[in-house]
Amino acid sequence: MAVTTRRKPTRAEIRKERMQMAINYPLDWVEERSGLVGGIRYFLFRKVPSDTNWMQTLGSATLTAFLVQVITGVILAMYYKPTPGDAYGSIQNITDQVTLGWLVRGMHRWGASVFIILMFLHMGRVFLFGAYKYPRELNWIVGVLILVMGMMEGFTGYLLPWDQTAYWATVVGINLNGTAPIAGPWLAQFLRGGQEIGADTLTRFYSMHMLLIPGAIIGLITLHLYLVIRLGVTSPPWSKEAAGMERAAATNGNLRPGLTRPATRGSAGRDSD
Amino acid sequence: MAVTPATGKPSSRDQKRAQFARYKEDVKERGKPFYPYAMFHDTVMSLVVVSVIVGLAVIWKWTAWAPHHSGLHQGILGPEYTEPADPGTTNFVPRPDWYFYFLFYLLRIFKWPESVFLGTVGVPTIALVLLLAVPFYDLRRERRLLHRPVAVVGAVLVVLSMATLTWKGATASEALASEVIADVPHWVKAEKLPPKAVPGAKLFAVAGCTACHTYLGVGSSNLGAPDLTSIGTRNLGIDFQVRHLKCPSCVNPGSPMPKFASLGDKRLNELAQFLEASKGKQ
Repeated sequence: MAVTTRRKPTRAEIRKERMQMAINYPLDWVEERSGLVGGIRYFLFRKVPSDTNWMQTLGSATLTAFLVQVITGVILAMYYKPTPGDAYGSIQNITDQVTLGWLVRGMHRWGASVFIILMFLHMGRVFLFGAYKYPRELNWIVGVLILVMGMMEGFTGYLLPWDQTAYWATVVGINLNGTAPIAGPWLAQFLRGGQEIGADTLTRFYSMHMLLIPGAIIGLITLHLYLVIRLGVTSPPWSKEAAGMERAAATNGNLRPGLTRPATRGSAGRDSD
Repeated sequence: MAVTPATGKPSSRDQKRAQFARYKEDVKERGKPFYPYAMFHDTVMSLVVVSVIVGLAVIWKWTAWAPHHSGLHQGILGPEYTEPADPGTTNFVPRPDWYFYFLFYLLRIFKWPESVFLGTVGVPTIALVLLLAVPFYDLRRERRLLHRPVAVVGAVLVVLSMATLTWKGATASEALASEVIADVPHWVKAEKLPPKAVPGAKLFAVAGCTACHTYLGVGSSNLGAPDLTSIGTRNLGIDFQVRHLKCPSCVNPGSPMPKFASLGDKRLNELAQFLEASKGKQ
Protein backbone atom coordinates (compact mmCIF):
# COMPACT_ATOMS: atom_id res chain seq x y z
CA MET A 1 0.00 0.00 0.00
CA ALA A 2 1.16 3.49 -0.75
CA VAL A 3 0.65 4.46 2.93
CA THR A 4 3.72 2.44 4.01
CA THR A 5 6.17 4.62 2.07
CA ARG A 6 7.91 7.19 4.29
CA ARG A 7 8.03 10.08 1.87
CA LYS A 8 4.93 11.97 0.90
CA PRO A 9 3.12 10.20 -2.00
CA THR A 10 3.47 11.98 -5.30
CA ARG A 11 0.46 13.29 -7.13
CA ALA A 12 0.66 10.44 -9.64
CA GLU A 13 0.66 7.90 -6.84
CA ILE A 14 -2.36 9.46 -5.20
CA ARG A 15 -4.20 9.51 -8.51
CA LYS A 16 -3.35 5.85 -9.14
CA GLU A 17 -4.62 4.86 -5.72
CA ARG A 18 -7.86 6.75 -6.24
CA MET A 19 -8.35 5.11 -9.63
CA GLN A 20 -7.91 1.69 -8.08
CA MET A 21 -10.38 2.51 -5.35
CA ALA A 22 -12.89 3.77 -7.90
CA ILE A 23 -12.65 0.48 -9.77
CA ASN A 24 -12.49 -1.79 -6.75
CA TYR A 25 -15.23 -0.17 -4.75
CA PRO A 26 -18.14 -1.15 -7.02
CA LEU A 27 -16.64 -4.61 -7.62
CA ASP A 28 -16.26 -5.18 -3.89
CA TRP A 29 -19.77 -3.84 -3.35
CA VAL A 30 -21.23 -6.36 -5.81
CA GLU A 31 -19.02 -9.19 -4.53
CA GLU A 32 -20.02 -8.58 -0.91
CA ARG A 33 -23.70 -8.68 -1.78
CA SER A 34 -23.77 -11.48 -4.40
CA GLY A 35 -20.48 -13.37 -4.74
CA LEU A 36 -20.81 -12.83 -8.52
CA VAL A 37 -17.30 -11.41 -9.01
CA GLY A 38 -15.79 -14.48 -7.37
CA GLY A 39 -18.05 -16.67 -9.53
CA ILE A 40 -16.92 -15.01 -12.75
CA ARG A 41 -13.28 -15.18 -11.60
CA TYR A 42 -13.73 -18.90 -10.91
CA PHE A 43 -15.30 -19.39 -14.36
CA LEU A 44 -12.50 -17.55 -16.18
CA PHE A 45 -9.49 -18.87 -14.28
CA ARG A 46 -10.61 -22.46 -13.66
CA LYS A 47 -8.14 -24.99 -15.03
CA VAL A 48 -8.83 -27.01 -18.17
CA PRO A 49 -6.64 -29.93 -19.35
CA SER A 50 -3.59 -28.58 -21.17
CA ASP A 51 -4.25 -30.82 -24.19
CA THR A 52 -7.71 -29.52 -25.12
CA ASN A 53 -8.20 -29.32 -28.82
CA TRP A 54 -9.90 -27.27 -31.56
CA MET A 55 -12.78 -29.77 -31.68
CA GLN A 56 -13.61 -28.71 -28.14
CA THR A 57 -14.57 -25.22 -29.32
CA LEU A 58 -17.73 -26.63 -30.96
CA GLY A 59 -19.77 -26.26 -27.77
CA SER A 60 -19.07 -22.55 -27.39
CA ALA A 61 -19.57 -22.14 -31.15
CA THR A 62 -23.06 -23.65 -30.73
CA LEU A 63 -23.74 -21.20 -27.90
CA THR A 64 -22.66 -18.34 -30.18
CA ALA A 65 -25.04 -19.53 -32.90
CA PHE A 66 -27.84 -19.64 -30.32
CA LEU A 67 -27.03 -16.09 -29.17
CA VAL A 68 -27.19 -14.93 -32.81
CA GLN A 69 -30.69 -16.49 -32.97
CA VAL A 70 -31.72 -14.71 -29.76
CA ILE A 71 -30.51 -11.28 -30.88
CA THR A 72 -31.82 -11.48 -34.47
CA GLY A 73 -35.06 -13.01 -33.17
CA VAL A 74 -35.65 -10.10 -30.79
CA ILE A 75 -35.13 -7.64 -33.65
CA LEU A 76 -37.45 -9.60 -35.99
CA ALA A 77 -40.14 -9.66 -33.29
CA MET A 78 -40.17 -5.84 -33.36
CA TYR A 79 -41.36 -5.87 -36.99
CA TYR A 80 -43.20 -9.18 -37.36
CA LYS A 81 -47.01 -9.33 -37.03
CA PRO A 82 -48.37 -12.77 -36.11
CA THR A 83 -51.78 -12.68 -37.82
CA PRO A 84 -52.72 -14.47 -41.06
CA GLY A 85 -53.62 -11.09 -42.61
CA ASP A 86 -50.37 -9.31 -41.76
CA ALA A 87 -47.67 -11.97 -41.33
CA TYR A 88 -46.71 -12.34 -45.01
CA GLY A 89 -46.71 -8.56 -45.55
CA SER A 90 -44.55 -7.96 -42.49
CA ILE A 91 -42.04 -10.56 -43.72
CA GLN A 92 -41.94 -8.81 -47.10
CA ASN A 93 -41.49 -5.49 -45.30
CA ILE A 94 -38.61 -6.84 -43.21
CA THR A 95 -36.96 -8.40 -46.25
CA ASP A 96 -37.44 -5.58 -48.75
CA GLN A 97 -37.97 -2.29 -46.84
CA VAL A 98 -36.52 -2.20 -43.32
CA THR A 99 -32.88 -1.06 -43.23
CA LEU A 100 -30.71 -4.21 -43.06
CA GLY A 101 -33.88 -6.18 -42.38
CA TRP A 102 -32.82 -8.70 -45.05
CA LEU A 103 -29.57 -9.26 -43.13
CA VAL A 104 -31.29 -9.80 -39.78
CA ARG A 105 -33.86 -12.17 -41.30
CA GLY A 106 -31.19 -13.94 -43.35
CA MET A 107 -29.01 -14.40 -40.28
CA HIS A 108 -32.00 -15.79 -38.36
CA ARG A 109 -33.03 -18.09 -41.22
CA TRP A 110 -29.56 -19.50 -41.85
CA GLY A 111 -28.36 -19.19 -38.26
CA ALA A 112 -30.99 -21.84 -37.49
CA SER A 113 -29.32 -24.28 -39.88
CA VAL A 114 -25.87 -23.44 -38.50
CA PHE A 115 -27.17 -23.92 -34.94
CA ILE A 116 -28.57 -27.36 -35.81
CA ILE A 117 -25.39 -28.43 -37.66
CA LEU A 118 -23.19 -27.28 -34.76
CA MET A 119 -25.34 -29.15 -32.24
CA PHE A 120 -24.86 -32.35 -34.24
CA LEU A 121 -21.10 -31.75 -34.65
CA HIS A 122 -20.72 -30.98 -30.94
CA MET A 123 -22.62 -34.16 -30.11
CA GLY A 124 -20.40 -36.12 -32.50
CA ARG A 125 -17.28 -34.73 -30.80
CA VAL A 126 -18.61 -35.69 -27.35
CA PHE A 127 -19.39 -39.17 -28.65
CA LEU A 128 -15.96 -39.68 -30.25
CA PHE A 129 -14.19 -38.47 -27.09
CA GLY A 130 -16.33 -40.75 -24.92
CA ALA A 131 -16.99 -37.59 -22.93
CA TYR A 132 -20.52 -38.71 -21.99
CA LYS A 133 -19.13 -41.38 -19.65
CA TYR A 134 -19.05 -41.19 -15.85
CA PRO A 135 -19.60 -38.66 -14.32
CA ARG A 136 -21.00 -36.69 -17.29
CA GLU A 137 -24.05 -38.86 -18.15
CA LEU A 138 -26.54 -36.23 -17.02
CA ASN A 139 -24.95 -33.58 -19.23
CA TRP A 140 -25.36 -35.85 -22.28
CA ILE A 141 -29.08 -36.09 -21.53
CA VAL A 142 -29.37 -32.31 -21.14
CA GLY A 143 -27.55 -31.91 -24.45
CA VAL A 144 -29.90 -34.27 -26.30
CA LEU A 145 -32.88 -32.37 -24.84
CA ILE A 146 -31.40 -29.10 -26.19
CA LEU A 147 -31.07 -30.78 -29.61
CA VAL A 148 -34.74 -31.82 -29.54
CA MET A 149 -35.80 -28.32 -28.45
CA GLY A 150 -33.66 -26.86 -31.26
CA MET A 151 -35.47 -29.02 -33.83
CA MET A 152 -38.80 -27.89 -32.35
CA GLU A 153 -37.68 -24.27 -32.83
CA GLY A 154 -37.09 -25.14 -36.48
CA PHE A 155 -40.57 -26.65 -36.84
CA THR A 156 -42.44 -23.78 -35.14
CA GLY A 157 -40.38 -21.05 -36.84
CA TYR A 158 -40.98 -22.48 -40.32
CA LEU A 159 -44.69 -21.48 -40.24
CA LEU A 160 -44.16 -17.84 -39.31
CA PRO A 161 -43.49 -16.34 -42.81
CA TRP A 162 -47.01 -17.60 -43.69
CA ASP A 163 -46.11 -18.35 -47.28
CA GLN A 164 -47.03 -21.48 -49.24
CA THR A 165 -43.91 -23.41 -48.18
CA ALA A 166 -44.56 -22.56 -44.55
CA TYR A 167 -48.27 -23.32 -44.65
CA TRP A 168 -48.19 -26.68 -46.42
CA ALA A 169 -45.15 -28.02 -44.58
CA THR A 170 -46.96 -27.25 -41.33
CA VAL A 171 -50.24 -28.83 -42.50
CA VAL A 172 -48.40 -32.08 -43.14
CA GLY A 173 -46.14 -31.73 -40.08
CA ILE A 174 -49.12 -31.35 -37.76
CA ASN A 175 -50.92 -34.27 -39.43
CA LEU A 176 -47.82 -36.41 -38.91
CA ASN A 177 -47.82 -35.58 -35.20
CA GLY A 178 -51.42 -36.70 -35.25
CA THR A 179 -50.49 -40.26 -36.22
CA ALA A 180 -48.94 -40.93 -32.80
CA PRO A 181 -50.97 -43.41 -30.76
CA ILE A 182 -53.14 -42.03 -27.93
CA ALA A 183 -51.50 -38.59 -27.62
CA GLY A 184 -51.39 -37.98 -31.40
CA PRO A 185 -54.85 -36.53 -32.10
CA TRP A 186 -54.66 -34.47 -28.92
CA LEU A 187 -51.21 -33.15 -29.89
CA ALA A 188 -52.36 -32.22 -33.40
CA GLN A 189 -55.41 -30.46 -31.95
CA PHE A 190 -53.20 -28.58 -29.48
CA LEU A 191 -50.74 -27.45 -32.18
CA ARG A 192 -53.53 -26.26 -34.48
CA GLY A 193 -55.51 -24.58 -31.72
CA GLY A 194 -58.70 -25.76 -33.43
CA GLN A 195 -59.90 -27.81 -36.37
CA GLU A 196 -58.15 -25.80 -39.09
CA ILE A 197 -54.77 -24.09 -39.40
CA GLY A 198 -55.47 -20.39 -38.99
CA ALA A 199 -54.99 -17.36 -36.76
CA ASP A 200 -54.90 -19.42 -33.57
CA THR A 201 -52.27 -21.77 -35.01
CA LEU A 202 -50.06 -18.86 -36.01
CA THR A 203 -50.14 -17.12 -32.60
CA ARG A 204 -49.67 -20.48 -30.91
CA PHE A 205 -46.58 -21.26 -32.99
CA TYR A 206 -45.29 -17.70 -32.47
CA SER A 207 -45.67 -17.99 -28.70
CA MET A 208 -43.96 -21.39 -28.60
CA HIS A 209 -41.23 -20.23 -30.98
CA MET A 210 -40.25 -17.10 -29.07
CA LEU A 211 -41.29 -17.73 -25.45
CA LEU A 212 -41.83 -21.34 -24.45
CA ILE A 213 -39.07 -23.21 -26.33
CA PRO A 214 -36.33 -20.53 -26.13
CA GLY A 215 -37.05 -20.23 -22.40
CA ALA A 216 -36.60 -23.97 -22.03
CA ILE A 217 -33.41 -23.88 -24.12
CA ILE A 218 -31.92 -21.06 -22.03
CA GLY A 219 -32.68 -23.01 -18.84
CA LEU A 220 -31.15 -26.19 -20.28
CA ILE A 221 -28.05 -24.35 -21.56
CA THR A 222 -27.53 -22.87 -18.08
CA LEU A 223 -27.69 -26.34 -16.56
CA HIS A 224 -25.42 -27.69 -19.34
CA LEU A 225 -22.76 -25.03 -18.63
CA TYR A 226 -23.04 -25.46 -14.87
CA LEU A 227 -22.29 -29.16 -15.32
CA VAL A 228 -19.40 -28.45 -17.71
CA ILE A 229 -17.82 -26.08 -15.17
CA ARG A 230 -18.49 -28.42 -12.24
CA LEU A 231 -17.23 -31.60 -13.91
CA GLY A 232 -14.53 -30.15 -16.12
CA VAL A 233 -13.55 -30.64 -19.77
CA THR A 234 -12.26 -34.05 -20.91
CA SER A 235 -8.85 -34.56 -22.48
CA PRO A 236 -8.78 -36.07 -25.99
CA PRO A 237 -8.78 -39.85 -25.45
CA TRP A 238 -5.65 -40.35 -27.60
CA SER A 239 -3.65 -37.78 -25.66
CA LYS A 240 -0.45 -39.16 -24.08
CA GLU A 241 -0.99 -36.84 -21.14
CA ALA A 242 -4.77 -37.20 -20.82
CA ALA A 243 -5.93 -35.94 -17.46
CA GLY A 244 -7.07 -38.84 -15.27
CA MET A 245 -5.27 -41.68 -17.05
CA GLU A 246 -3.41 -44.34 -15.06
CA ARG A 247 -0.19 -43.02 -13.54
CA ALA A 248 2.16 -45.56 -15.16
CA ALA A 249 1.05 -44.53 -18.63
CA ALA A 250 1.26 -40.83 -17.86
CA THR A 251 5.05 -40.90 -17.36
CA ASN A 252 5.63 -41.51 -21.08
CA GLY A 253 7.83 -38.68 -22.24
CA ASN A 254 7.63 -36.82 -25.51
CA LEU A 255 4.68 -34.63 -24.53
CA ARG A 256 3.21 -32.64 -27.39
CA PRO A 257 2.11 -29.14 -26.40
CA GLY A 258 -1.67 -28.87 -26.59
CA LEU A 259 -3.61 -25.83 -27.68
CA THR A 260 -3.99 -24.30 -24.25
CA ARG A 261 -0.46 -25.15 -23.16
CA PRO A 262 1.97 -22.34 -23.89
CA ALA A 263 5.11 -23.81 -25.40
CA THR A 264 7.50 -21.97 -23.09
CA ARG A 265 6.00 -23.32 -19.88
CA GLY A 266 5.19 -26.72 -21.35
CA SER A 267 7.10 -29.00 -18.96
CA ALA A 268 6.72 -26.97 -15.77
CA GLY A 269 4.58 -29.31 -13.69
CA ARG A 270 5.79 -32.63 -15.03
CA ASP A 271 8.38 -33.58 -12.43
CA SER A 272 5.69 -34.17 -9.84
CA ASP A 273 4.08 -37.01 -11.84
CA MET B 1 -13.60 -49.45 -0.75
CA ALA B 2 -15.92 -52.03 -2.29
CA VAL B 3 -14.01 -55.01 -3.65
CA THR B 4 -15.31 -57.69 -6.01
CA PRO B 5 -14.97 -60.91 -4.00
CA ALA B 6 -13.57 -63.13 -6.76
CA THR B 7 -10.62 -61.11 -8.03
CA GLY B 8 -9.85 -58.74 -5.20
CA LYS B 9 -9.84 -55.83 -7.69
CA PRO B 10 -11.74 -52.62 -6.89
CA SER B 11 -15.30 -52.61 -8.29
CA SER B 12 -15.88 -50.75 -11.55
CA ARG B 13 -17.76 -48.02 -9.68
CA ASP B 14 -14.72 -47.43 -7.48
CA GLN B 15 -12.42 -47.48 -10.50
CA LYS B 16 -14.54 -44.78 -12.13
CA ARG B 17 -14.47 -42.65 -9.00
CA ALA B 18 -10.73 -43.08 -8.64
CA GLN B 19 -10.21 -42.10 -12.27
CA PHE B 20 -12.29 -38.95 -11.88
CA ALA B 21 -10.37 -38.02 -8.70
CA ARG B 22 -7.13 -38.48 -10.69
CA TYR B 23 -8.59 -36.30 -13.46
CA LYS B 24 -9.36 -33.49 -11.01
CA GLU B 25 -5.84 -33.76 -9.57
CA ASP B 26 -4.15 -33.77 -12.99
CA VAL B 27 -6.12 -30.77 -14.19
CA LYS B 28 -5.31 -28.86 -11.01
CA GLU B 29 -1.61 -29.68 -11.34
CA ARG B 30 -0.97 -29.55 -15.07
CA GLY B 31 -4.00 -27.78 -16.49
CA LYS B 32 -4.03 -24.28 -17.94
CA PRO B 33 -6.51 -21.55 -17.01
CA PHE B 34 -9.57 -21.26 -19.29
CA TYR B 35 -8.82 -17.55 -19.75
CA PRO B 36 -6.93 -16.71 -21.91
CA TYR B 37 -5.87 -20.06 -23.44
CA ALA B 38 -9.09 -21.96 -24.20
CA MET B 39 -11.11 -18.76 -24.45
CA PHE B 40 -8.90 -17.52 -27.29
CA HIS B 41 -9.75 -20.55 -29.41
CA ASP B 42 -13.42 -20.34 -28.48
CA THR B 43 -13.44 -16.69 -29.59
CA VAL B 44 -11.78 -17.45 -32.93
CA MET B 45 -14.29 -20.26 -33.58
CA SER B 46 -17.24 -18.04 -32.61
CA LEU B 47 -16.08 -15.35 -35.03
CA VAL B 48 -15.92 -17.98 -37.78
CA VAL B 49 -19.49 -19.06 -36.93
CA VAL B 50 -20.85 -15.50 -37.06
CA SER B 51 -19.02 -14.86 -40.35
CA VAL B 52 -20.51 -18.00 -41.89
CA ILE B 53 -24.02 -16.95 -40.78
CA VAL B 54 -23.58 -13.44 -42.22
CA GLY B 55 -22.12 -14.98 -45.39
CA LEU B 56 -25.12 -17.27 -45.87
CA ALA B 57 -27.51 -14.35 -45.30
CA VAL B 58 -25.68 -12.27 -47.93
CA ILE B 59 -25.60 -15.12 -50.48
CA TRP B 60 -29.31 -15.76 -49.88
CA LYS B 61 -30.22 -12.12 -50.41
CA TRP B 62 -27.83 -11.49 -53.26
CA THR B 63 -28.65 -14.52 -55.42
CA ALA B 64 -32.41 -14.45 -54.77
CA TRP B 65 -33.15 -10.75 -54.95
CA ALA B 66 -30.51 -9.17 -57.18
CA PRO B 67 -31.41 -10.69 -60.60
CA HIS B 68 -35.06 -9.57 -60.70
CA HIS B 69 -35.46 -7.43 -57.56
CA SER B 70 -37.94 -9.98 -56.26
CA GLY B 71 -37.78 -12.12 -53.13
CA LEU B 72 -39.72 -14.83 -54.99
CA HIS B 73 -36.78 -15.62 -57.27
CA GLN B 74 -35.04 -18.94 -56.65
CA GLY B 75 -31.44 -18.10 -55.71
CA ILE B 76 -28.66 -20.50 -54.70
CA LEU B 77 -30.21 -20.90 -51.26
CA GLY B 78 -33.85 -20.75 -52.36
CA PRO B 79 -36.31 -17.84 -52.59
CA GLU B 80 -36.63 -15.33 -49.74
CA TYR B 81 -40.32 -16.15 -49.56
CA THR B 82 -42.79 -18.09 -51.70
CA GLU B 83 -46.36 -17.01 -52.61
CA PRO B 84 -48.59 -16.07 -49.67
CA ALA B 85 -50.20 -18.99 -47.85
CA ASP B 86 -53.43 -20.06 -49.55
CA PRO B 87 -55.41 -22.87 -47.90
CA GLY B 88 -57.49 -23.09 -51.12
CA THR B 89 -54.66 -24.19 -53.42
CA THR B 90 -54.07 -27.89 -53.60
CA ASN B 91 -51.15 -28.24 -55.99
CA PHE B 92 -48.39 -27.25 -53.57
CA VAL B 93 -45.79 -29.86 -52.70
CA PRO B 94 -45.16 -29.78 -48.95
CA ARG B 95 -41.50 -29.70 -47.98
CA PRO B 96 -39.93 -29.17 -44.55
CA ASP B 97 -36.65 -27.37 -43.84
CA TRP B 98 -33.59 -29.41 -44.90
CA TYR B 99 -32.71 -30.71 -41.45
CA PHE B 100 -36.03 -32.56 -41.33
CA TYR B 101 -35.38 -34.33 -44.66
CA PHE B 102 -34.14 -37.48 -42.92
CA LEU B 103 -37.44 -37.77 -41.04
CA PHE B 104 -39.36 -36.76 -44.17
CA TYR B 105 -37.75 -39.45 -46.30
CA LEU B 106 -38.32 -42.07 -43.62
CA LEU B 107 -42.02 -41.70 -44.47
CA ARG B 108 -41.43 -42.94 -48.00
CA ILE B 109 -39.99 -46.17 -46.68
CA PHE B 110 -43.02 -47.10 -44.61
CA LYS B 111 -46.38 -47.62 -46.28
CA TRP B 112 -49.89 -46.64 -45.31
CA PRO B 113 -51.70 -47.93 -43.36
CA GLU B 114 -49.88 -50.91 -41.80
CA SER B 115 -46.51 -49.38 -40.98
CA VAL B 116 -46.76 -45.61 -41.53
CA PHE B 117 -46.91 -45.18 -37.78
CA LEU B 118 -43.36 -46.60 -37.65
CA GLY B 119 -42.10 -43.86 -39.95
CA THR B 120 -43.91 -40.95 -38.31
CA VAL B 121 -43.46 -41.81 -34.64
CA GLY B 122 -42.05 -45.31 -34.11
CA VAL B 123 -38.52 -45.12 -35.55
CA PRO B 124 -37.83 -41.49 -34.47
CA THR B 125 -38.96 -42.28 -30.90
CA ILE B 126 -36.81 -45.42 -30.68
CA ALA B 127 -33.82 -43.49 -32.10
CA LEU B 128 -34.32 -40.70 -29.56
CA VAL B 129 -34.56 -43.10 -26.62
CA LEU B 130 -31.41 -44.93 -27.81
CA LEU B 131 -29.62 -41.57 -28.11
CA LEU B 132 -30.67 -40.39 -24.65
CA ALA B 133 -29.63 -43.70 -23.11
CA VAL B 134 -26.12 -43.88 -24.66
CA PRO B 135 -24.30 -43.31 -21.31
CA PHE B 136 -26.40 -46.05 -19.70
CA TYR B 137 -25.61 -48.93 -22.05
CA ASP B 138 -22.04 -47.86 -22.86
CA LEU B 139 -20.72 -48.32 -19.34
CA ARG B 140 -17.02 -49.03 -19.90
CA ARG B 141 -14.40 -46.50 -18.86
CA GLU B 142 -12.54 -46.91 -22.17
CA ARG B 143 -12.50 -43.71 -24.27
CA ARG B 144 -9.94 -44.51 -27.02
CA LEU B 145 -11.68 -45.03 -30.38
CA LEU B 146 -9.74 -48.13 -31.46
CA HIS B 147 -10.79 -49.81 -28.23
CA ARG B 148 -14.49 -49.02 -28.79
CA PRO B 149 -15.26 -50.88 -32.07
CA VAL B 150 -19.00 -51.20 -31.41
CA ALA B 151 -19.37 -47.49 -30.67
CA VAL B 152 -17.37 -46.53 -33.78
CA VAL B 153 -19.27 -48.88 -36.11
CA GLY B 154 -22.59 -47.74 -34.60
CA ALA B 155 -21.69 -44.07 -35.06
CA VAL B 156 -20.57 -44.60 -38.66
CA LEU B 157 -23.81 -46.46 -39.49
CA VAL B 158 -25.95 -43.72 -37.91
CA VAL B 159 -24.10 -40.94 -39.74
CA LEU B 160 -24.26 -42.82 -43.07
CA SER B 161 -27.97 -43.58 -42.80
CA MET B 162 -28.86 -40.02 -41.75
CA ALA B 163 -26.74 -38.60 -44.57
CA THR B 164 -28.38 -40.97 -47.07
CA LEU B 165 -31.90 -40.15 -45.88
CA THR B 166 -31.14 -36.40 -45.98
CA TRP B 167 -29.69 -36.70 -49.49
CA LYS B 168 -32.62 -38.81 -50.73
CA GLY B 169 -35.06 -36.34 -49.17
CA ALA B 170 -33.26 -33.42 -50.84
CA THR B 171 -33.27 -35.02 -54.28
CA ALA B 172 -36.73 -36.65 -54.05
CA SER B 173 -38.58 -36.02 -57.29
CA GLU B 174 -41.62 -33.82 -57.20
CA ALA B 175 -44.53 -34.44 -59.52
CA LEU B 176 -45.29 -31.18 -61.32
CA ALA B 177 -48.95 -30.67 -62.24
CA SER B 178 -48.03 -29.62 -65.80
CA GLU B 179 -46.17 -32.89 -66.40
CA VAL B 180 -48.70 -35.13 -64.70
CA ILE B 181 -51.66 -33.83 -66.72
CA ALA B 182 -49.89 -34.93 -69.93
CA ASP B 183 -50.29 -38.50 -68.68
CA VAL B 184 -54.08 -38.35 -68.35
CA PRO B 185 -54.83 -39.67 -71.90
CA HIS B 186 -52.52 -42.59 -71.15
CA TRP B 187 -54.44 -43.31 -67.93
CA VAL B 188 -57.76 -43.26 -69.79
CA LYS B 189 -56.43 -45.83 -72.26
CA ALA B 190 -54.59 -48.07 -69.79
CA GLU B 191 -57.36 -48.19 -67.21
CA LYS B 192 -60.25 -47.96 -69.74
CA LEU B 193 -61.70 -45.03 -67.77
CA PRO B 194 -65.32 -44.13 -68.67
CA PRO B 195 -65.89 -40.52 -69.92
CA LYS B 196 -67.48 -39.45 -66.62
CA ALA B 197 -64.16 -40.22 -64.84
CA VAL B 198 -62.03 -37.98 -67.11
CA PRO B 199 -62.72 -34.59 -65.42
CA GLY B 200 -61.76 -36.23 -62.12
CA ALA B 201 -58.56 -37.63 -63.65
CA LYS B 202 -57.55 -34.12 -64.81
CA LEU B 203 -58.33 -32.73 -61.38
CA PHE B 204 -56.33 -35.54 -59.76
CA ALA B 205 -53.34 -34.61 -61.91
CA VAL B 206 -53.34 -30.89 -61.01
CA ALA B 207 -54.72 -30.83 -57.47
CA GLY B 208 -51.50 -31.98 -55.80
CA CYS B 209 -52.61 -35.60 -55.18
CA THR B 210 -49.45 -36.89 -56.90
CA ALA B 211 -47.27 -35.04 -54.38
CA CYS B 212 -47.90 -38.00 -52.09
CA HIS B 213 -49.76 -40.68 -54.09
CA THR B 214 -48.60 -42.61 -57.15
CA TYR B 215 -50.84 -43.56 -60.09
CA LEU B 216 -49.57 -45.91 -62.81
CA GLY B 217 -46.01 -45.07 -61.78
CA VAL B 218 -46.51 -41.28 -61.91
CA GLY B 219 -46.13 -39.12 -58.80
CA SER B 220 -44.00 -39.58 -55.71
CA SER B 221 -44.91 -41.82 -52.84
CA ASN B 222 -44.69 -39.60 -49.75
CA LEU B 223 -45.78 -39.74 -46.13
CA GLY B 224 -46.73 -43.39 -46.57
CA ALA B 225 -49.57 -42.54 -48.96
CA PRO B 226 -50.83 -45.61 -50.91
CA ASP B 227 -50.68 -46.18 -54.68
CA LEU B 228 -54.09 -45.40 -56.18
CA THR B 229 -53.76 -47.25 -59.51
CA SER B 230 -56.44 -49.77 -58.54
CA ILE B 231 -58.17 -48.05 -55.63
CA GLY B 232 -61.53 -48.64 -57.39
CA THR B 233 -61.27 -52.41 -56.90
CA ARG B 234 -61.92 -51.88 -53.20
CA ASN B 235 -65.42 -50.60 -54.10
CA LEU B 236 -65.48 -48.05 -51.32
CA GLY B 237 -68.29 -46.10 -52.98
CA ILE B 238 -68.63 -42.50 -54.24
CA ASP B 239 -70.10 -41.39 -50.95
CA PHE B 240 -67.17 -42.72 -48.93
CA GLN B 241 -64.61 -41.19 -51.31
CA VAL B 242 -66.21 -37.73 -51.00
CA ARG B 243 -66.39 -37.96 -47.21
CA HIS B 244 -62.76 -39.14 -47.11
CA LEU B 245 -61.52 -36.30 -49.33
CA LYS B 246 -63.37 -33.75 -47.20
CA CYS B 247 -61.81 -34.95 -43.96
CA PRO B 248 -59.42 -37.93 -44.25
CA SER B 249 -58.74 -38.21 -40.52
CA CYS B 250 -62.49 -38.33 -39.73
CA VAL B 251 -62.86 -41.51 -41.81
CA ASN B 252 -59.38 -42.92 -41.26
CA PRO B 253 -58.32 -41.93 -37.75
CA GLY B 254 -54.70 -40.73 -37.68
CA SER B 255 -54.42 -40.20 -41.46
CA PRO B 256 -51.80 -37.51 -42.22
CA MET B 257 -53.56 -36.52 -45.48
CA PRO B 258 -54.67 -32.85 -45.63
CA LYS B 259 -58.38 -32.01 -46.01
CA PHE B 260 -59.56 -31.18 -49.51
CA ALA B 261 -63.01 -29.82 -48.60
CA SER B 262 -62.05 -26.49 -50.23
CA LEU B 263 -62.40 -28.10 -53.69
CA GLY B 264 -66.20 -27.98 -53.35
CA ASP B 265 -68.82 -30.71 -53.70
CA LYS B 266 -68.92 -30.77 -57.50
CA ARG B 267 -65.20 -31.29 -57.96
CA LEU B 268 -64.97 -33.72 -55.05
CA ASN B 269 -67.66 -35.76 -56.75
CA GLU B 270 -65.64 -35.77 -60.00
CA LEU B 271 -62.55 -36.95 -58.11
CA ALA B 272 -64.57 -39.69 -56.43
CA GLN B 273 -65.90 -40.85 -59.85
CA PHE B 274 -62.33 -41.10 -61.12
CA LEU B 275 -61.07 -43.01 -58.06
CA GLU B 276 -63.96 -45.46 -58.14
CA ALA B 277 -63.39 -46.05 -61.89
CA SER B 278 -59.69 -46.82 -61.35
CA LYS B 279 -59.66 -50.61 -61.43
CA GLY B 280 -56.01 -51.05 -62.32
CA LYS B 281 -54.41 -51.77 -65.70
CA GLN B 282 -56.97 -53.45 -67.95
